Amino acid sequence: MGAKSLALSFSVQAECNVSRARAGLMKLPHYEIKTPVFMPVGTQGTMKGLLPDQLETLDCEIILGNTYHLGNRPGTEVLEKAGGLHNFMGWNRGLLTDSGGFQMVSLLKLAEITEEGVKFKSPYDDSEIMLTPEKSIEIQNCIGADIIMQLDDVVQTTFQDYDRIKEATERTSRWLDRCLKAHKRPTEQSIFPIVQGLLNKDLREQSAKDHMTKNVNGFAIGGLSGGEAKDDFWPMVSLGTGILDKNKPRYLMGVGLAIDLVVCVALGIDMFDCVFPTRTARFGCALINKGQLNLKQKQYETDLNPIDNDCSCSTCKNYTRAYLHCIVTLETVACHLISVHNIAFQMRLMRTMREHIEKGTFPQFVKKFVNELYSDGNYPTWIVNSLNSVGINIVRK
Amino acid sequence: MRFIINQAGSGGERIGSLKGFVKISTAVIETPASALFTQSGSVVHLTNEVLSKVFSNPKLLWVPLSKSYQLETGLKAQGEGVAKFAGLQNHLTCVTLHGASEITPSGHFESDSVPLWTKNGKKMISANRYMDLMEVFKPDIILAIADGHTSLDEGSKRISKALDRTSNMLNMCVTRHKNSTCLQDSSLIGVIVGVGEERKCEQSIQNILTYKENLSGVTLEGITDGSEESLTVPLEKLEAIFKRVGDALPKDFLCIIEGCWNPAVVVTAIEHGWDLFDGSYPLKLTNAGHALALQLDVNQDNKELCILNLNDESYKDDFQPVLASCECLACKKHTRAYIRHLLNTREMLASVLLSIHNLHHFDEFFHHARLHIASRTFDVFKKHIIKQYDFYKQNKKDVPIPTIQDVKTSKKKEKNKKRRVSDDDIDNVVKSDNSL
Repeated sequence: MGAKSLALSFSVQAECNVSRARAGLMKLPHYEIKTPVFMPVGTQGTMKGLLPDQLETLDCEIILGNTYHLGNRPGTEVLEKAGGLHNFMGWNRGLLTDSGGFQMVSLLKLAEITEEGVKFKSPYDDSEIMLTPEKSIEIQNCIGADIIMQLDDVVQTTFQDYDRIKEATERTSRWLDRCLKAHKRPTEQSIFPIVQGLLNKDLREQSAKDHMTKNVNGFAIGGLSGGEAKDDFWPMVSLGTGILDKNKPRYLMGVGLAIDLVVCVALGIDMFDCVFPTRTARFGCALINKGQLNLKQKQYETDLNPIDNDCSCSTCKNYTRAYLHCIVTLETVACHLISVHNIAFQMRLMRTMREHIEKGTFPQFVKKFVNELYSDGNYPTWIVNSLNSVGINIVRK
Repeated sequence: MRFIINQAGSGGERIGSLKGFVKISTAVIETPASALFTQSGSVVHLTNEVLSKVFSNPKLLWVPLSKSYQLETGLKAQGEGVAKFAGLQNHLTCVTLHGASEITPSGHFESDSVPLWTKNGKKMISANRYMDLMEVFKPDIILAIADGHTSLDEGSKRISKALDRTSNMLNMCVTRHKNSTCLQDSSLIGVIVGVGEERKCEQSIQNILTYKENLSGVTLEGITDGSEESLTVPLEKLEAIFKRVGDALPKDFLCIIEGCWNPAVVVTAIEHGWDLFDGSYPLKLTNAGHALALQLDVNQDNKELCILNLNDESYKDDFQPVLASCECLACKKHTRAYIRHLLNTREMLASVLLSIHNLHHFDEFFHHARLHIASRTFDVFKKHIIKQYDFYKQNKKDVPIPTIQDVKTSKKKEKNKKRRVSDDDIDNVVKSDNSL
């Protein structure tokens, strides 16, 4: 069972018999992706100093590019001549691009959103630019990613005005129609609609139901991970996965913290992206099961252990915390080394979850993971509640 | 370590090999060669994983103390030397005080110590302290501490002092080296200073030869103080120095030249018997966004400039590799257009790809030099390289050199611009050292 199309076919391989977690296979034109999957973000057609070869070694199967940035530099003309971003950057596996709408709203105070699209001043030459659903898809068709995103009407997650949220949610549905209509490469690229509605249950439900009526290969849940309380966050994820077609992949946008990944996989999410692992690397923070190490701290000055004894990445095999302590925020090599480890960490976590889902031991894994992270037994309420809602009962000690 | 001359060419050029390293007994470094320049013990911009994609055999790492001083505490805790600590245990190391291309403040010398300019400011280093540090860094080759950071037109008084100081410090280095059990596996190299004044330079060489039995070679300092001006010496003048000094040295000495010298200078030095270079040149190209593209085949003309400035907009849709004949990973898998995009967006991968190419190609350049020495055709190769470099100098696009003030303001502007444009993904954290 599953979605079948030339551009994307998805099949659920194993389901957790307690929670909503599932392991799947998503076949894209460029690569076959094992889900649940974490997609590192390579904003400008590069993953923060890592070679595509290194990403393959790290087992990355799909990465993200940002339409807004790529549309500006190198620009569609160059990308077209290059034959798309895959060729341009030398990456042969899966690619996903966002719509460009998010950057505009988050970065540009001057953006003005109308029914036609998002109007803003170009930060490069101050000229006025209009990003419409059609324009976004045109650029994404040119970039040529396997999965592309509809342009959505983005409102700050913590925004309160109901009328504006309602307008944005409904407009997102209207823009989806325009995106689908403008799509020139439906056999090579899949447009994912984005479920909006911020923290409003009714609007989210409406949005998800609207999207369900469309002929699409997968869905995204957007408008979250924007500073809202965790207690507000997880019910919106759960609501989305409760409505969206089980036979199609579901992508939760902008989420990448280990504990969030574990909880949201339990809630039925298949795909994640986040800049966090590579961004935090540049500040000298390395991810481990218990949280993160800030390698700049003096305590690591003479610590001859690798970042993580259980990690088999090239950084942990060759470098000590003491050495990394000497070079973080000083040498580009430090960024590369910690990025490699942090991506390896994310990949290993996803792989572990897949294996446990397949073996039928996912609930036990979740309990062990949470217990290790909060070894004092002081589990945050949202984690207890969200996991309980899908039948994984963890109790505060 | 032993230095063995395998074959002399038709001129002063020679093929040699560095072998007998205690840490890696099978390692052989064939000369003439270039070391790989490091900062904080790492080959700049390249991790162990990526470096292993460029070179499969052991290389000599050039480790300026000024850029790795902060490793001391960690090194002491670990106790196995700088190569191992920096994750590069398959390579050999040569430690020196400063990189010859660093621009350091003038003065601050004391009778028995010299200033070391680190990222945390000035540290006064005596010969004793220097040798203490060597016992911690455990390099395969030690360049003696010296006062050699002077240009050719340095004043006579300054040179005299540099000479005295260097001589005293060498004496201490030799004594410490002889008496240190843990430095028995390291080779000591004497430093020639004051090259601008012929008599002083001779004196400097004589001082070194006093310790002939204790030294494995010499390194030539006292030509450049790191500034661009000090590097723009006419080739004839440099050649005269290379010849004069080279002729005054014992043949079995390893002869090293420090400094950011272009390929035309390098082939000239090789012709007069100089064996080893510090590797700062390819790094300088990388940090400037330049790719070395020498035509190494003497039977073919270079149809392009031998240095490509990939910042140039003309490369934005040039989907050729940097150099079609190059076998490096960057040329096999990536294009000029992609590197140009990475430079334009200030992405770190630009420096990674350029380092891969420039290090590989610079290494190939030395490989070809050795082939020509072996077949007694080095003179042809030398002319071929000098011709390409001259052509580059005459035809490169004039890019106005910004004054220091300009650099500051334009950087600021760029920063503000970036804040607005980007996803905060842009790295203000790590700034690569463009000055080298």
